[in-house]
Amino acid sequence: MATSKRVESASTFLLHHYPYRETSLIIDVFSREHGRHSLVARGARRPRAALRGLLLAFQPLLLSWFGNNELKTLHSAEWQGGVPQLTGRALMCGFYLNELLIKLLPREDPHPEIFDAYEKAIKALARGASSELEPTLRCFELALLAGLGYAPTLQLDSTGKPIEASRSYCFVPEQGAHAEIRIETGVTIAGQSLLDMAVGDYRSPLTLQQSKLLMRSLLTQLLGDAPLYTRRLLQDLQSL
Amino acid sequence: MKTPTTLEALIQALRCLPGVGPKSAQRMAYHLLQRDQAGAGHLASALVDALTRIRHCNRCNTFTELEVCELCANPARDHRTLCVVETPADLLMMEQTLAYGGLYFVLMGRLSPLDGIGPREIHLDRLLNRAQDGMIEEVILATNFTVEGEATAHYIAESLRSLGIRSSRIARGLPVGGELENVDSGTLAQAMVERRAL
Ligand SMILES: [Zn+2]
Repeated sequence: MATSKRVESASTFLLHHYPYRETSLIIDVFSREHGRHSLVARGARRPRAALRGLLLAFQPLLLSWFGNNELKTLHSAEWQGGVPQLTGRALMCGFYLNELLIKLLPREDPHPEIFDAYEKAIKALARGASSELEPTLRCFELALLAGLGYAPTLQLDSTGKPIEASRSYCFVPEQGAHAEIRIETGVTIAGQSLLDMAVGDYRSPLTLQQSKLLMRSLLTQLLGDAPLYTRRLLQDLQSL
Repeated sequence: MKTPTTLEALIQALRCLPGVGPKSAQRMAYHLLQRDQAGAGHLASALVDALTRIRHCNRCNTFTELEVCELCANPARDHRTLCVVETPADLLMMEQTLAYGGLYFVLMGRLSPLDGIGPREIHLDRLLNRAQDGMIEEVILATNFTVEGEATAHYIAESLRSLGIRSSRIARGLPVGGELENVDSGTLAQAMVERRAL
């Protein structure tokens, strides 16, 4: 019999949770060193369970678990703290990040660089400045694509020439920025916007607007037809 | 030996209860048939009664046999405040506090963005219509302090704001009579974040 694999005090964020049996919970977690896992938190739904105030999304946690199967068993959870709970629109943005991870991140595949980008994004959302929300989402989306091996080339055009700030480009997923031709599936974007995105500078309103469209098009390539529930919710909120 | 199909159907039907798997459904079925046929009869007729008589209150959406439940119809309640809760059990809990004399709206759910449960799925328009009766001056959001409950409260607050209706959120913090050393870290940390000036 194989020895049961144990993980001790792993830096982790909880992405989602489902009720399991009478009093337990299945948690979908993203750990820095071990990637995404599903854990059973036994008794976590009992009225006075200590885990209740601990197993919260958007909070850095130290989790220990064991087991060989796909579904592992949570052994202990420790609060790491330092991040106020997300509220309002920032909370909705947090759900969006979690949905991206749940839909795009393969299980049991460590991605410390994506984890670090996620942690940075959550901390930025927790600071709660509304002007910081959209840039935070764009930075995370780019880091996620890069971590998954789909980083778009932002500083060179499709022929390998440096992007010129004053030119307009047609960005086609999997091909890059075309300087001359226009393709229907592409996104029209200013050279300056591409250069701003490459350095994570979203102060320009045009960059903010164009980067959003570009990222949406790139993410759609990976997500396929599966709708993003949280994007719809954010749009609903916007239209109120 | 093959199980009779009527028995199979009963076992299968019992599995619709939360937390009831095949094993316990079988145990329940045998118990009802072997040891408590009278109890089984009561259960069957009570279920049929409930299904035919119980409906949602036109005003607060909770379970009732009337068109408008007794609480909503009570003239002694304050018709200017509306307290929004997730479930009928939450409403009962709130009533037990004796701290609130206004009216309620029971969502019968909450937003769960990652499960695709949005404002349409929980029929938020019914709450928004209810809040626009011309009498309501304040909507108190008493959804749970889970991330889903928070998201629900935020969405409702924003929707009400766009209609020009004032809303508030119940406060969270340490339990009354609670000692710091026995409180979980999440609660205590948030109590620190949400501290107030004296
Ligand atoms: Zn009612």
